[in-house]
Parts: sequence; C-alpha cells; structure tokens
Amino acid sequence: MKHIKILGTGCPKCKQMEAIVKQVVAQLGIEATVEKVEDIQKIMEYNVLTTPVLVIDEQIKVKGRVPMPEEVKSLLQ
Amino acid sequence: METKTAVEICPTTTQGRVKAGALLVDVRERDEVAQLAYDVPNIVNIPLSEFENRFHELPKDQELVMVCRGGGRSLKATYYLMNMGYDNVANMQHGIIRWVQRGFPTKGDSSSVLVKNDNAGCCGTSAPAAKSSSCCDAPNSDGSPCC
Repeated sequence: MKHIKILGTGCPKCKQMEAIVKQVVAQLGIEATVEKVEDIQKIMEYNVLTTPVLVIDEQIKVKGRVPMPEEVKSLLQ
Repeated sequence: METKTAVEICPTTTQGRVKAGALLVDVRERDEVAQLAYDVPNIVNIPLSEFENRFHELPKDQELVMVCRGGGRSLKATYYLMNMGYDNVANMQHGIIRWVQRGFPTKGDSSSVLVKNDNAGCCGTSAPAAKSSSCCDAPNSDGSPCC
C-alpha cells in the first residue's frame, strides 16, 4: 500500500498533479491512498517553498512542477 | 516536522514594527518589485524562487516581517524561516494589495494592484481577495490588536 500526498494550495497545477496521480494509480491498479493537502501549515511541515509537491510514503519525489504520467508511473512501480 | 502557527500581522501593525526597527523581506519576483515596491527604509528583496539559496542572508537577531503581493508566498517563506530556526519572524497578511489600499508608501505604479486582484501565479501567490473592510476587523494572530 502506497501513501501518496499531493501538497498544494489549490492552484491549477496542483489540481493537474492530483488528476494525473489518480489516473496513474487507477491505470496501474495498485493499492494506494491519495491525499490532497491544502493547509499551508501542514504543507510547510515538509518545508517546501514551491508547489505542487508529490510525496510518496513520506518522501518528497517531485517539487514545484507537474510531472508527466510516465514519471509518476515509474515513481509508483 | 511539527510546525508552529505563524504570527500574522496586518499592514498597519507592520508599519509600526518597521518604525521600531524590523526588516521587511519582500519575496516577490524581481519584475514585480521593479513595477511596484514597498517604500520603507529597512527592506530587502529575496524572491521566493531564490529563497532556499539566499535565506541565510537574513539576520537572526532582527525582527523580520515577510511580505509579498497578497500574503500567500510570504506566509510560506515565514514558515520556511521558522523551520530553519528563525524565531523572530512574522507574515504581513494581504500583501502589497492591502498596503496600497491603506495608502502606505510605495514606489512605482500601484494601479496594477488596485485595478485587479487576480492570481498572479501558481500556488499561493495571492491570498484571498482583499476586501475594502478595515484591517482592524480581526486581531493579529498573536493576539495583539491590529491598529
């Protein structure tokens, strides 16, 4: 079971990342939780200045940009 | 990492803090500052895009008030500094938009922030739309009165 978090304050890029991640999770058919974190204080627990951020099992994998679906696939496999 | 809640103050309170010796830290990008800048004696510009590499330029023994356009980016920078061991730092809510609305001093063209209040960039660039109501509607987050 993967625990995925998307950190972002609700901007379009954050929504894009969320959509891509959910799409890839569905395609891969893996067991995963996808949580969107919009609270700035909770986001800053990861001490990141640029969003969106992709966190997989509490590790920051992508920061400040929207990844391509292929990249998310490789991060999840 | 457990993060404490940031201290947030309004532009009027910020004016007082600056007069008392606080340093204003503007985290807007250079082109934004070139267009419209805060006109106070103690100010530095460290754009958020450079912040991770340059935050160490900021003194730890002086009060810092973080500012931006709408209060979103500066709040991130405030938390970042708190996480990096700065304990005398506050965020100015509502940014230069409210600052201009209050008639506080600026250099440059203020029409851009008075005419529109759209989101200038991704991810917390702007705080919620500035209202025309008084900044004294709510106390500062540290409990002190606003004005």
